[in-house]
Amino acid sequence: MGNVMSASFAPECTELKHEYDNCFNQWYSEKFLKGLSMENECSKQWYAYTTCVESALVKQGIKPALEAAQKEAPFENGGESSESK
Amino acid sequence: MRLFQNTQEFPYSWEQVTAANWRKYPNEVSTHVVAVDVLRRELDESRTKLTSERLITCKQSVPKWLTMLIGSSNVSYIREISVVDLSTKTLTLKSCNLTFSHLLKVYETVQYTPDQFDANKTLFRQEAQITAYATINTLCNKIEEWSVKRFGENASKGREGFDSVLQLLSKNWGEREKLVDELSHKVADTVDEICSSTDSLLKETELKSTSLISRYSREIQRAFNLNKN
Repeated sequence: MGNVMSASFAPECTELKHEYDNCFNQWYSEKFLKGLSMENECSKQWYAYTTCVESALVKQGIKPALEAAQKEAPFENGGESSESK
Repeated sequence: MRLFQNTQEFPYSWEQVTAANWRKYPNEVSTHVVAVDVLRRELDESRTKLTSERLITCKQSVPKWLTMLIGSSNVSYIREISVVDLSTKTLTLKSCNLTFSHLLKVYETVQYTPDQFDANKTLFRQEAQITAYATINTLCNKIEEWSVKRFGENASKGREGFDSVLQLLSKNWGEREKLVDELSHKVADTVDEICSSTDSLLKETELKSTSLISRYSREIQRAFNLNKN
């Protein structure tokens, strides 16, 4: 609220997230959708943001549930679950 | 297990819809989504396929008959994997609740594809599979029923919110970067909302139900009866 971009679940990461989101959204519309992307850009912002998130996931105890879900529905399979159907 | 299905059409191009997808939250309609985080994101070698893993944090009020059982905690998490495939012009999102998933699971799949006959329209298909793993049948059914109802409510809310975002976006598609803020402010999501609310309720319910049900059996029964209407 107040802010136009969604917050991070960890308040200490919200600013880093906004920097990353800004970069990503631009890349998505201007490069990716137009087939001009040479790589997933924004790596600098990404690194800062994801480092913050990683430690917050551990701190807030979300990691175990997340890892279980990642095992059940792997990223590599596009999130297709082995349990659903 | 219950199934929920929904099909809709957005009067916007697929490109517009997928760009707006990243900016859905926060918006005025889906206030229960309080945070969205990207956990992993990869572009494949052909540079036409983008896979993202997101963590969606929700807060939603639970029905009275459940608060008695689950207490006041109402934060839940959903994990979502999305794939944007430029070669097939398909955006697929698969999500599932993380919180209390041993008690209740909501698997949702959403797909956005261009209308075959009109490039300015996008088809939206949504399917959710809701399963409660509770041992107490009645409780189980109630939870499933409630989840399905809540899913439907949130689905229409999500459509409404997303529509308003898309409207904004399309007005100035050429200047979309400036619109990002406005968009995010308005976009709503269907899936996430549902999952979050459902999960936290169900899970905690089951956790505490064994002992609580025996202690408060009369109150619970009354709550269930009230809830029927």
